[in-house]
Amino acid sequence: MKDKMPPLSRRKFLKTSLAAAAISTGAGSPLVKSLVPRAHASGGRPQAPISSHFTVCDMCFNRCGMIARVQNGVITKIDPNPGFLKSRGMLCARGNAATKHIYDPDRLKYPLRRTGKRGEGKWERISWDEALDYTAEKLLEIGEKYTRCGVMFIPGSDMQSQFVNRFAEVFGSFNITSHETLCLLSKNRAYLDTLGEVPYPDVYYSKYIIIAGANPFEAIITPDTMDFFEARKNGCKIIVLDPRFTKTAALADEWYQIKPGTDMAFFLALCHVIVKEELFEAEGCCPIRTYGFDEFFLHIQKYTPEWAEKECGIPAEDIIRIAREITAAAPAAMVYPGRRTSDYEDSTQIRRAMAITNALLNNFDKPGGLLAIREVGVKTPYYDVPWYDDNPFDRVEAGMVPGLIDHEGSFQLMRDAIISGEPYPIKGWFNFKTNFMQTAANRNKTLEMIDHLEFIVNIDIAMTDTAWYSDVVLPGASFLERKDPVSALQGSSACACAVMRDPVVPEMFESRSPFWICQQLAKRMGLGDSFDFTLDEYRKQQVDGLDGALEAMKMMGVYYNPSRTYDIYAGSPLKTLTGVKEIYNQRYARAGVDPMPVYKRPKQPSENEFRLVVGRTAFFTHSNTNNELLTEFMEENTLNMHPEPAARMGLKDGDLVEVKSRAGQGRLRLELTQGIEKQTVYMATGFGALSPGMSLVHNKGASISEVLEDYYDEISGNMAMHETLVTVRKVA
Amino acid sequence: MKKKYCMVIDSSVCIDCKACMVSCKVQHNVPRGRWRNWIKHTEPDFSMGKHTFVHFQPGGCMQCDEPSCVYACPSGATFKDEETGIVHVNEDLCIGCGNCITACPYGARYRHPVKRVPDKCDFCSDRLSRGLLPACVDTCPTKARTFGDMNDPDSDVSRLLRDRETVRVVSKPVDTKPNMFYLAETMPADWPGSVEYPAAHQAMTGFVNPLVKIAVGISGLGVAAMFLKQLFTGDETSGNDKEEV
Amino acid sequence: MKPPGMTRRRFNMSDKMIHRHDKGSIFIHWFNAFCWIFLTLTGLGLISNERINPVGGWWPNLMRTIFGSGETLLTFHIYVGLTWAAVILIYILVRFRDSLGFLKEVFTLSPARDTVWMIKRNVQLTLGNKALKKMGMTTDIPPQGFYNAGQKVFAQLTVFAGLILVVTGIIMYLSTIILNNPTPAAWSRTIHYLMAGIGFAGMLVHIYMAAISRDERPAFKSMFSGMVPEDYAKHHHELWYKEVKDKS
Repeated sequence: MKDKMPPLSRRKFLKTSLAAAAISTGAGSPLVKSLVPRAHASGGRPQAPISSHFTVCDMCFNRCGMIARVQNGVITKIDPNPGFLKSRGMLCARGNAATKHIYDPDRLKYPLRRTGKRGEGKWERISWDEALDYTAEKLLEIGEKYTRCGVMFIPGSDMQSQFVNRFAEVFGSFNITSHETLCLLSKNRAYLDTLGEVPYPDVYYSKYIIIAGANPFEAIITPDTMDFFEARKNGCKIIVLDPRFTKTAALADEWYQIKPGTDMAFFLALCHVIVKEELFEAEGCCPIRTYGFDEFFLHIQKYTPEWAEKECGIPAEDIIRIAREITAAAPAAMVYPGRRTSDYEDSTQIRRAMAITNALLNNFDKPGGLLAIREVGVKTPYYDVPWYDDNPFDRVEAGMVPGLIDHEGSFQLMRDAIISGEPYPIKGWFNFKTNFMQTAANRNKTLEMIDHLEFIVNIDIAMTDTAWYSDVVLPGASFLERKDPVSALQGSSACACAVMRDPVVPEMFESRSPFWICQQLAKRMGLGDSFDFTLDEYRKQQVDGLDGALEAMKMMGVYYNPSRTYDIYAGSPLKTLTGVKEIYNQRYARAGVDPMPVYKRPKQPSENEFRLVVGRTAFFTHSNTNNELLTEFMEENTLNMHPEPAARMGLKDGDLVEVKSRAGQGRLRLELTQGIEKQTVYMATGFGALSPGMSLVHNKGASISEVLEDYYDEISGNMAMHETLVTVRKVA
Repeated sequence: MKKKYCMVIDSSVCIDCKACMVSCKVQHNVPRGRWRNWIKHTEPDFSMGKHTFVHFQPGGCMQCDEPSCVYACPSGATFKDEETGIVHVNEDLCIGCGNCITACPYGARYRHPVKRVPDKCDFCSDRLSRGLLPACVDTCPTKARTFGDMNDPDSDVSRLLRDRETVRVVSKPVDTKPNMFYLAETMPADWPGSVEYPAAHQAMTGFVNPLVKIAVGISGLGVAAMFLKQLFTGDETSGNDKEEV
Repeated sequence: MKPPGMTRRRFNMSDKMIHRHDKGSIFIHWFNAFCWIFLTLTGLGLISNERINPVGGWWPNLMRTIFGSGETLLTFHIYVGLTWAAVILIYILVRFRDSLGFLKEVFTLSPARDTVWMIKRNVQLTLGNKALKKMGMTTDIPPQGFYNAGQKVFAQLTVFAGLILVVTGIIMYLSTIILNNPTPAAWSRTIHYLMAGIGFAGMLVHIYMAAISRDERPAFKSMFSGMVPEDYAKHHHELWYKEVKDKS
């Protein structure tokens, strides 16, 4: 039993308790703070200071102005430059995702040299000096053995491509080709041969637009994509012809599920109606402003709307109605030229039909029509190009097709030449920022070409499939780390502007810009004089005569040249042979090519075959799919097919199928949709990567390059990607 | 004057390019698989032939005037700021019970896998304080989203609300009075779910709260009765009481 | 001799005192009381949703004014709650036998005797002996042990509720730190509030009994001095008194 205890007075009790409380509160405050979950930063927390930097985007070719926000040396957000007229102050999903481009965990960090076999993936890290010495040595070696034209140069489609071009030219090779030969050269060819230049559509002020084989609401082109909607608010009608129900088709006023490859039939019939009903603008069309109208009049007699309906599937009465509607809206009306036209073997002729339709609408150099190139004023500094006595006469694929474009040529034809060794051998490949292993048809042929090459050097930001098969891989700096020369941009009626880049953050790891690389190589190869300048000096030469251009680009991110938008020609002759719009092209005739488009029915897939077509989405650019933010929208590509033929073949949505052509095969999941023509299948670009360095798309889905057979446009040599017929069978 | 931020959206110009979704995700470090905003779409009816269409509808938290999410939060961790009209989440007060996530008929909230508290659109409050527009509004190529203060008669949104016919996408049967307005032709309009309060919350409001009130009430009454009795009639003890001798 | 049941007794300090509570018990009682009250008041202030708070929005607002912000209020609630649980736990471990004894005492009820006691005392205290007689019951109350039935029931309630409050409180605390499912936190909050509410209802009676009821004044004083008058013990806790007497 406990002893009796003295009573505890109330006063003593209170004093003790308060003291205890005070001590514990004071001592416990830091403890208190650590106890309560404060791991979450709520809005009230102070942020690190943000600095803002102008630059222009490189996630696609549009070069939208952007403002990069930097905190603690890291780019945390990229916002649009609201003052950038060409992009109408916007930034698409890809521009926003550029933070995962620069901070891609798969980024190349330092120069690599192959140690195992090509494609084996065995690399050794080397220093820049070693890499440059070795590359210079190999290039000179090939130049010795096979002439300077023995190296193929791919300068990329980049603001520094002009330096790779310069390097190629002073090295002495004519064999410079590019990704453009997989894209828009047939369109360029067609318009050069009709209007004398490649025009820019003035969508904003147009009142009637036919979009055929283009998908501008997904394959974003600035300012066109945005301007379509402003134009529509002002009464513009949009007609879409596409075998696929793309987002452009989904938002159009009328969509026709045209049979693939029959666009020419539609346009010839359209012209037929325009000519027969005399809907053309007489003053603009005949005989003064065009060449060959009378020949054309006879030529299109047989291309009636009724005939066209049988070919393309679009009802004759719609063709007639559209012809009347579009001419009523002319000259603020157009057939949208589009961009990627690498589809059929008569791709140039198809675009010629479209260009001729535009000519009949008399919309060139007018509001709402097709615009001539606006003056920006950026100059290309002159440089001496040395002459190499032993060089061949011309580029290797010269003359293989009648309409090769200067400085572009045709990669596909060059590839064939490398494999055959005719007319002369090419044994080296200098590649910047281009991924033919993923984008060029018939990957096995690209691999065959690679087998014929003695040396491949590749500058890129990630280990693409093309880099994976190279001999030397050089880590390129991302656009956010680069200082770039001035580039001129055509913004349609929105603007004509010039942009440049200054580094937002310093070069990461050991990455370097192609300018520096070419400069270093040039020094080692005795060509140092051609690169003996700084970028600042170069820029000054570029903007010589443009007052305030550099300041404007620094202060606002862009320089605007308020140059003339319309009526640039003002009565002067066009840059065609005849000085007027050429419906009939004499050079074609002389070259043995149809001087006016002649319709050829595309080969029809047999009962078990499908035509494979390719296209674009708004969140990927070609094979630039290895981006963590963007693959959330598509983790692997699928094969789109109509449910009817699928049912006939016993295929179900989600089945793993093998799509096979004569070039190769690929495996991917099937996705059924009514939004595709019944004998057509579609798959997205940039998947099925062979390189583990493209970790997000490695072995996911299939690559178009493996399945596409190699066809090319017979006039420009542009790749033709929609000619492949495939079979589809279930695998699992 | 108090601000009331809202969005007026012209969904007819939305091309589903996903720019707004990526911009928001980068701005707020939204984890993979989760989104603070969205783009809904209709299903095409191909029997319409050349007039087949799809309509895209961008959206996000509607910062409702009668937010069921706020009503579902007992601790006030989520609240509507009276100065701006924005519904915020105070992560320091949140215990991660998830009531608010289920209570939202638009699915505008998600549970952050790392922070374990709800995350949602807050109209980019941080950007607003820097004088910038919300990320999704700023980036949109076709400028489908317009943002501003409804209480300011000169703002873009006020003008649009005055000059154009607008609709709101409402949950049925409870209208939470969303502050996201669509120009008349928006589709789809019937996608919001219903307001659902989780079982734990319904138990709290429907059972526990009344029970506690009753228990305290009875106890209080009893105590009051005892007190009054003591006051007026004095103590009464048991009959076993032994008197002091 | 005065008739039984009509006498008012007053227990003087000059009465002989017997020991009832030691310093440890006294400390833990007041510590417990302070914590419960603090936690109840702050807890009520944390239900800042007016539609749910049983007293409306004014109390949470007042609490936030006093503590500065909702986060600080929560911080204190958690700090005091965890401290309370820790101290109780340590106390139990340090005074293990006494704690077991306490639990044995409060969880031992003899249904017949204690039910009668509860009913009679409840009526007696609220309506009076007259009403009791009118209901047909006698005024003699069954004898009680160390704790009377009412105290036992209240103790059971606080033990039970306290345990659940700690468990649900810890679940809510850890919810945003390690739990991947929100459901435990949601239900914990509901149950936490239920237990706190019932506990509060019981607390009203306990505080009245302790601090206001004159009849129990010696018990209140014993929570400071540790002693009760012998007469009081004989009258109110006859069985315990007998035990004590038998021992000495």
